[in-house]
Amino acid sequence: MHSVKLVPCELTTEPIVTGSSVLGVQCADGVVLACDTLASYGSLARFQRVTRFHQPAAGVVIAGGGEYSDLQQLFRITDNVYRQEFCHEDGWELTPRALHQYLSRLLYARRSRLDPLYNTVAVAGKGRFLGMVDMYGTAIETNLVATGIGTLLALPLLRKRWHEGLTMDDGLACLEDCLRVLYYRDCRALRTIQVAKVSDSGETFISEPYDLGNLQWKVAHAVTEKLMI
Amino acid sequence: MRPQEDQTRFTESSWMSSNLGPSAQQALISHQRSWSPYVDNGGTVLALAGRDYAVVAADTRFSVGFSVPSRNLTKIVRLTDQAVLASAGMGADRQYLHKILRSRLEVYKYQHQKQMSLSAIAQLLSNTLYSRRFFPIYAFNVLGGIDDNTGEGFVFGYDAIGSFEKVKVVCSGSGQTLVQPVLDQQLAGRQKYDLPDDQRMASLSLDEAIELTRDVFNSAAERDILTGDAVEIYAVTGSGVRYERHSLRQD
Amino acid sequence: MAGVGSGYDLSTTTFSPEGRVYQVEYAVKAVEQSGTVIGVRCVDGVVLAVENLRSTKLLQPNSLRRVFAVDRHIGIAIAGIGPDGRQMVSRARSEAQNFRNVYAEEIPPSLLAERLASYAHVYSLYWHVRPFGCAILIGGWDETSGPCLYIVEPDGSGYKYRAYANGKGRTAVRTALNKLNFDQLTCADAVSEIALMIHQSRDIAKDKPYELEMAWISEVCDRQFARVPMSLISSARQRAELEHQQMEGDASPGADAAEAAGTNVMEES
Repeated sequence: MHSVKLVPCELTTEPIVTGSSVLGVQCADGVVLACDTLASYGSLARFQRVTRFHQPAAGVVIAGGGEYSDLQQLFRITDNVYRQEFCHEDGWELTPRALHQYLSRLLYARRSRLDPLYNTVAVAGKGRFLGMVDMYGTAIETNLVATGIGTLLALPLLRKRWHEGLTMDDGLACLEDCLRVLYYRDCRALRTIQVAKVSDSGETFISEPYDLGNLQWKVAHAVTEKLMI
Repeated sequence: MRPQEDQTRFTESSWMSSNLGPSAQQALISHQRSWSPYVDNGGTVLALAGRDYAVVAADTRFSVGFSVPSRNLTKIVRLTDQAVLASAGMGADRQYLHKILRSRLEVYKYQHQKQMSLSAIAQLLSNTLYSRRFFPIYAFNVLGGIDDNTGEGFVFGYDAIGSFEKVKVVCSGSGQTLVQPVLDQQLAGRQKYDLPDDQRMASLSLDEAIELTRDVFNSAAERDILTGDAVEIYAVTGSGVRYERHSLRQD
Repeated sequence: MAGVGSGYDLSTTTFSPEGRVYQVEYAVKAVEQSGTVIGVRCVDGVVLAVENLRSTKLLQPNSLRRVFAVDRHIGIAIAGIGPDGRQMVSRARSEAQNFRNVYAEEIPPSLLAERLASYAHVYSLYWHVRPFGCAILIGGWDETSGPCLYIVEPDGSGYKYRAYANGKGRTAVRTALNKLNFDQLTCADAVSEIALMIHQSRDIAKDKPYELEMAWISEVCDRQFARVPMSLISSARQRAELEHQQMEGDASPGADAAEAAGTNVMEES
């Protein structure tokens, strides 16, 4: 039936070096993203100080989880898009929403080729834009983003604490608390984190990696004792 | 690696062999087990038609497994002021489908100097789905609207690869098994079988139809974990499209 | 033109007995008829300028540009046939992006010039293609050596220059360029000098009105390609016209009106 000789070829269908959850919150005065700086090799905490953030232009930040090499490729592709925009010189600049849609089309095209980019990406931008795209290419605009295991552990907490008029400082505090919870329970999480803030007007700040701090292990014995039973 | 076994599996997996390039086909062989290009994001969609209206409704929950990454992702697209489409199934495929349909309708508008009619949209949707017969668009569509000439309401129900049927009431998606029997009983039930089809539906006013829609979505949200958060309702009448939205259970 | 080369000018694959390739020389002719194009390497950057001839006043200002961004640190100015030039620009952009994808660094302008020269050269080798009817000026910022200027000609040769001019007014402008002090010249100075050079190279009675199109890659704009601000160009041009009038003593009023119309086109944008 098929005369072509078929040789198996390798595409990313199982991630190797991975980043864990990315969190994001839309606030009254801007958007905040946060994630740790770990790229795991299986269960090994292989690269402990890598950035999972990227700023392709003023007023836009993207952050991603999943396969780290795919993430780097995705960042390069994004850069190329912005460079092409620069060369056009038509006075038009890509809005965060346009980039979000672009990434969703990119990821959808790749999944449809059965050669997916194994990532979930959050996009934050000026005008209080917050969106995420999963590896299948689903584009979602929401006030809260939590990817990976963060969907299970962080999203409920964020939903509980989010309210209209939340400031970026409060939002950041929420995200730090969520990252603490993730550090307690996610075996692929790290206590070194990075955050990005994009204000309503487009002022952008990506922090240096810093220690989460204020971790509370006093209750740990209760957990282990229970497990011993 | 057992080549013989893989060859066999390839011929068996004819469901997506035709439209793909050789590298993708090879990928299919070696990775079919570990990664699937499909995911079910759940949700329920419904469309019903009366004498001079159609109602199209869907919930707004976006699920992945047992998680709900978004409580507010629309499943509905307003294609013209006479036709509204709702799709359950996979979110990414739905967004793709809605995007290309919208662009095809736009091109049609410029080429023909008129909006595409409901029946033409129905056929176009079928063709679009069938063009991916061997790598299906994982979306379960219901299309509702009013007929160009008669102003009569109609809805169309589809499967993922383009089979479609012109009906008066249809429901798809994760709550289908809960909702469809209720609709059947209410609108095409035994006690009304003695009436001709058009009279049965004609007895239902638009307000009653919307009330019924809200009821069945509330019911589905009670038992189907993939349906909930909110229901969006589009009512298509001769005077355009009306939109409303109501909360559902969020748990 | 068939008579000129007596049958030796029909293809780039045929040499004349004197060792010339006429088709390529005709391409150079296309460049020589173009509006004047100038590139100047200064101490703080490189300036690209074009006398963009406007065949009719109906043309929108800033349409049909001749200076293009290739990457954030490189720009190209075109002398000759515009569409041919844009093809080169398009190729340059691909080369720049390709280099970046492979090495995650900006392409050195020298390498880009080399690659574009090879690209142009290929089109002078085969019977089924025609040489590019354009010469391009590549202005860029090299990470190691700073601002630089390269040119690529239709025959596929490439050179590095301190300053260069091509097109109709090239002879006059090249003479003027020779008098510049490149050890002190800044981009801001160069803008005025170029405006004057272009203005003086023109035959006011005969030449069509023009837009002065200028871009630079300089310290003032973060070593990135940027258009020279309209206000700067306009004032440089006005000064040039004034200076020119003073030098000429008594310019004819009719010519003044024609030039003024050209200025208006600029200010509309």
